[in-house]
Amino acid sequence: MSNAITDGIHEKMIKRGGIRAELRAANALAIKQWRVEFSYPLSVLYFIVMPFLWFLPMFLAGTAVAGSPTSSVFETYTGTTDWITFIAIGSAFSGLAMSLFWGTGMAFRREQSVGTLETLMTTPMKRDTLVWGTMLHNVQHGGLGVVLQLTFSVLFFGATLNLWGVLPALGIVALAVIGMQGIVFAMTCIVLLAKQGWMIIEVISEVFLIIAPISYPIAVLPPILQFVSLGSPLTWSVDAFRSFLMYGLATPAVIQAVVSLVIIDVLFIAVGSLMFRYTERYVRSKGALEQF
Amino acid sequence: MQTKDTSLLEETHRQQADIANNYLADFQPRMMDWNAAKIFAVKNLRIAIRYPTNVLIWGLLPILWLAPYLLMMTAVAGPGTSEYFAEVSGFDDFLKFAVIGWFIFKYIDASIWAIGNNFRWEQFSGTLEPLFVTPVPRISILLGAAFSDTVQTTLSAFILLFTAMALFGVTYTFVAIGPIILIMLLMIISFYGFGFMLAGMILVFKDPSVLTELINNAVFTVSPITYPLQVLPAPARFAAYLIPSTIAIVVVRELAITGTYDLFQFLQSVGFMCVIIVFFWTLGIAVFNYGEKWTKNRGSMGGF
Repeated sequence: MSNAITDGIHEKMIKRGGIRAELRAANALAIKQWRVEFSYPLSVLYFIVMPFLWFLPMFLAGTAVAGSPTSSVFETYTGTTDWITFIAIGSAFSGLAMSLFWGTGMAFRREQSVGTLETLMTTPMKRDTLVWGTMLHNVQHGGLGVVLQLTFSVLFFGATLNLWGVLPALGIVALAVIGMQGIVFAMTCIVLLAKQGWMIIEVISEVFLIIAPISYPIAVLPPILQFVSLGSPLTWSVDAFRSFLMYGLATPAVIQAVVSLVIIDVLFIAVGSLMFRYTERYVRSKGALEQF
Repeated sequence: MQTKDTSLLEETHRQQADIANNYLADFQPRMMDWNAAKIFAVKNLRIAIRYPTNVLIWGLLPILWLAPYLLMMTAVAGPGTSEYFAEVSGFDDFLKFAVIGWFIFKYIDASIWAIGNNFRWEQFSGTLEPLFVTPVPRISILLGAAFSDTVQTTLSAFILLFTAMALFGVTYTFVAIGPIILIMLLMIISFYGFGFMLAGMILVFKDPSVLTELINNAVFTVSPITYPLQVLPAPARFAAYLIPSTIAIVVVRELAITGTYDLFQFLQSVGFMCVIIVFFWTLGIAVFNYGEKWTKNRGSMGGF
């Protein structure tokens, strides 16, 4: 490459900045991750089959105790007898949450394992763009999983969805992603500090999933967990997402859910971003970025 | 002095080389090298002892996976039981039913994740190729790895069982402990064959996370762990009986909950499990040998 061309590239790199440049970088990271995933042919099969396999055991366990698609006991807890639709929507949403927690939370570790973390950190993009870019990929990946799982549930398990609620449900997904990104930033800090942070991520994500009303209402949780559950963005997002898809625009108590979600989002993203900024700076000052 | 030291060193090296050469000259390929299996098992256990929290975590984590099922079943049917569940499963308590199922699932999980993935971890550590040039039957290495995994899994499985019993308030009768141990042993031996098969597949497909996740979820879905086989469609029920653990779960659950089992049916189950052992060992070794040959021919043994 001639000197004139390299000088031009360097000049462009120095001048780059602003939100559009960061978006371009995030998009490039998301595309890169898709390419990596599709280079393993089994990944494609996994991606298609997994949403089905995640829901199936839940469906079978419910069938083993209910014996029919409706349950009067379930109605006393949730106001609906249709436990299949309730669980199908919750389970689909949990796929998105898992994708964000695992895929994005472990982004730094993955880059570190393949030896590209330091290279990425020397590019002129902002540090948190790496996390946002991976999040963008996982929203696409997890989002497609939600669509697949809901389609399977409607076609094979008799779940019923209210199509009028699809657009507002997407709005809830957007709000949910912001709150969950706060959690992901915190998880990234753990990975940066503890290196092999998968164990902590597994425990944190499982705890968030258990206290959320994914396949059961929070009324069946012990009282202390019900209280903790109210502070999780996942609780309000699953609830509102499911309400829109089950009842359409006539969703009960949705304003309370949205307001709570917005407040929790602001708190989680602010705390998560700050934690990430300080941890990343600390790890770099210790020269421990590339350490295993 | 220095010359004397050097000559001593040279002499030692020569002796060591002679021992190695004699060993290689006398070496006869064997089907199984028990010494190598033992060395590999001890090596893996030594590594495991360095990370004791792993055993604890793998004992406690499944409770976080089991809890959503129990909470969902409670929300759908009320606490503990339902008329329909008692009718299809023959047991009146789904908590008791599920906890023992998850105890056995620990062994299924280990055979899929641990035994099958051993060579992949050697590959990540950069020791797979050196390991494969040693004059030792691969099955010995796999068997050693499988044995160390069984020791670790047994510890985790008991942590899971006792914690879940305390958390969910369920109890089991251990009067028929002998038959339970016999069935569990047969299941573990048959899973070794299953693990060999997966190890061969992982050598070919490389990325173990996707393959193992797929197989793990499929096996979990058709196994009577949280729900009875009766809720599965007929073809899935048939497939379930081809998995080494299905019979074991049914028999161990009955023995642990009621303390009794029909003698003729028990002997039938033992016979069936012996057939499964022969089937999976034959299949597992054949798939592994094929996978190894396929990978070597393409020169992709150490590749990712």
